[in-house]
Amino acid sequence: MTDFWNRLTIGQKLAITAWLFLAIPLVFYITIRFYPTFEAFYVSTLKWNLLGAKKAIGFKNYIKIFADEDFWLVLWNTIKYALVGVPVSMLIAFVIAYWLNEIHFGHDMIRAMYFIPFLTTAVAMAWVWRWFYQPLPIGYFNIMLSWMGIPQQPFLKSVTQALYAIMAPAVWAGLGFQIVIFIAGIRAIPRSYFEAAEIDGAGRWQILREITLPALKPTMIFLTVVSTIGFLRIFDQVYTMSADSAGGPLNSTKPLVLMIYEFAFDEFKLGRASALTVILFMILLVVSLVQLWLMRKHK
Amino acid sequence: MAEVRLEGVHKLFGSVVAVEDFNLSIGSSEFVVFVGPSGCGKSTTLRMLAGLEDVTSGSISIDGRAVNNVHPKDRDIAMVFQNYALYPHLNVFDNISFGLRAKRLPKDEIAKRTNEAAEILGLGDLLKRRPGELSGGQKQRVAMGRAIVRKPKVFLFDEPLSNLDAKLRHKMRAEMKILHQRVQTTTVYVTHDQVEAMTLADRIVIMNEGHIEQVGTPDEVYKHPASQFVASFIGSPAMNFATGRIEASGKTMSLRTDSGTSLDLAGCGVAEGTMVQLGFRPEHMELADTAKPARGHVSIAGSITVVEPMGHETVLTCDAGFGEIVGKYEGERRFQPGETVKFHIRADRLHYFDLKTGLRI
Repeated sequence: MTDFWNRLTIGQKLAITAWLFLAIPLVFYITIRFYPTFEAFYVSTLKWNLLGAKKAIGFKNYIKIFADEDFWLVLWNTIKYALVGVPVSMLIAFVIAYWLNEIHFGHDMIRAMYFIPFLTTAVAMAWVWRWFYQPLPIGYFNIMLSWMGIPQQPFLKSVTQALYAIMAPAVWAGLGFQIVIFIAGIRAIPRSYFEAAEIDGAGRWQILREITLPALKPTMIFLTVVSTIGFLRIFDQVYTMSADSAGGPLNSTKPLVLMIYEFAFDEFKLGRASALTVILFMILLVVSLVQLWLMRKHK
Repeated sequence: MAEVRLEGVHKLFGSVVAVEDFNLSIGSSEFVVFVGPSGCGKSTTLRMLAGLEDVTSGSISIDGRAVNNVHPKDRDIAMVFQNYALYPHLNVFDNISFGLRAKRLPKDEIAKRTNEAAEILGLGDLLKRRPGELSGGQKQRVAMGRAIVRKPKVFLFDEPLSNLDAKLRHKMRAEMKILHQRVQTTTVYVTHDQVEAMTLADRIVIMNEGHIEQVGTPDEVYKHPASQFVASFIGSPAMNFATGRIEASGKTMSLRTDSGTSLDLAGCGVAEGTMVQLGFRPEHMELADTAKPARGHVSIAGSITVVEPMGHETVLTCDAGFGEIVGKYEGERRFQPGETVKFHIRADRLHYFDLKTGLRI
């Protein structure tokens, strides 16, 4: 054994040591993550209620899903969470990061305050927000509206408002993370860029447009992808906050993950749930690949 | 072209004094170099001139106008940074024209001036490239282009050649000199490299620990260093020093060094009993065969510790009893460590500095 080891080159020894360290996480990933993922592909071709016999039915699960009107509504809901949530949260996060970077007094405390929601349990936070949305005399938002003389809003009970009312705490929870990443990105820009621009007579706007934003492009691509995936997988807030039934009212807030949950654990249609999981997986895969491609192009 | 005046300028960072009572008047189209070791306040002074740092007290004026509270963009200056500060996502043309676009000049004017600057600097073929695709020297030229295109009253350079290798630095130094002769813009240039300072400057400002040690032409600071610090900073290899007391016996003067050795000084104007640092440059030491020096010369002997052949000359480090000295020899002779050699130095090439104050006597 020692003979074998001594005969190896330094490079080979290094590789073996590295692989030994990687072995544990690799085994973990293969058994806990990759195996169930591939299993999902298989289950998606079955008719199975978790306990009874498995029956192979080919692509019937997919066909049924695509024929289901509810699926298209839920898919559109999910896309709406990402389509609105991502740009809104990024814009707010950038504006806060941009100005937070200019101040020194209280900088760390303010940043910590923005970061706390990111660390808080989504369910606990969702309950608090759910309470905010209550009608008079309980809900803060309606109390504030009444002060301003604006009519009461149904929020979670409205088919048009509920989705955005649930999106708000999700946006809020992610802000801290996005702000920290944005500030790190801004700080990584060499100071001399700004000094040179200042001497050259550039205004705040020209500096923002020609220096800060282009330099933050990799940061923005990264954040876009991470939060897109986050919003596409939204679940906790919806499950906790939605009125009438989970995803209600009238399925107007239901995202894909919640639909998967219902198929699997309310209706015990494991095949259908797996098929839907595979569809979500494909969507996330495409988003990630587009990110990789954009990053490469940027380099 | 403009005059620049700094009067009684101080800069404090908290309680740390960065620059102390800085007074300097820079003439129109003059090329002035601030030189000194790191932390001497040269960059801080330049940044105050640029408006990137506030002045704690004192006044700075450009072209007769006090600029203490004037925003950098309204000072009509251009600055070249050590890391060039080129914007990586903009091509050479857009980098050079950045300041012109900031001023909202008409498009054809921008194009005309940018192309002109690119032509002067030999960047004509590179206008579409991005900084990442340029060599160090080319980046340096783009940074200079961004400065000259604006035709400012004053150029400020903050260690612009420090990131280049030795060969390229030499080349860019020459280009910078040609550029200044051509555009004749008042220039303030900061460097820690005394060779750059000597070769580029009309006048050199030597700084140490926040204050000016000496202002003078390269010739003046080399031949008549005002202090021991200047003497040790300017010149390569550095000046040799011997510390001791001036003694007189009859007409002959000598230096009694700390280690007890005595150096005969052929006539010197320093009063007996003064504690001094005697300085002499390696290039002024002539290798001699006899211990007895010619009239008006001083003789110093030492045993060689290190021999550094450079091709055209040999640098000899010797133990002279009172300390280490470095001498230069141009010729064919070979040396061995341990060998004893004698040097003769013309007495008028000796420098005397007060040991306490460090000032020239």
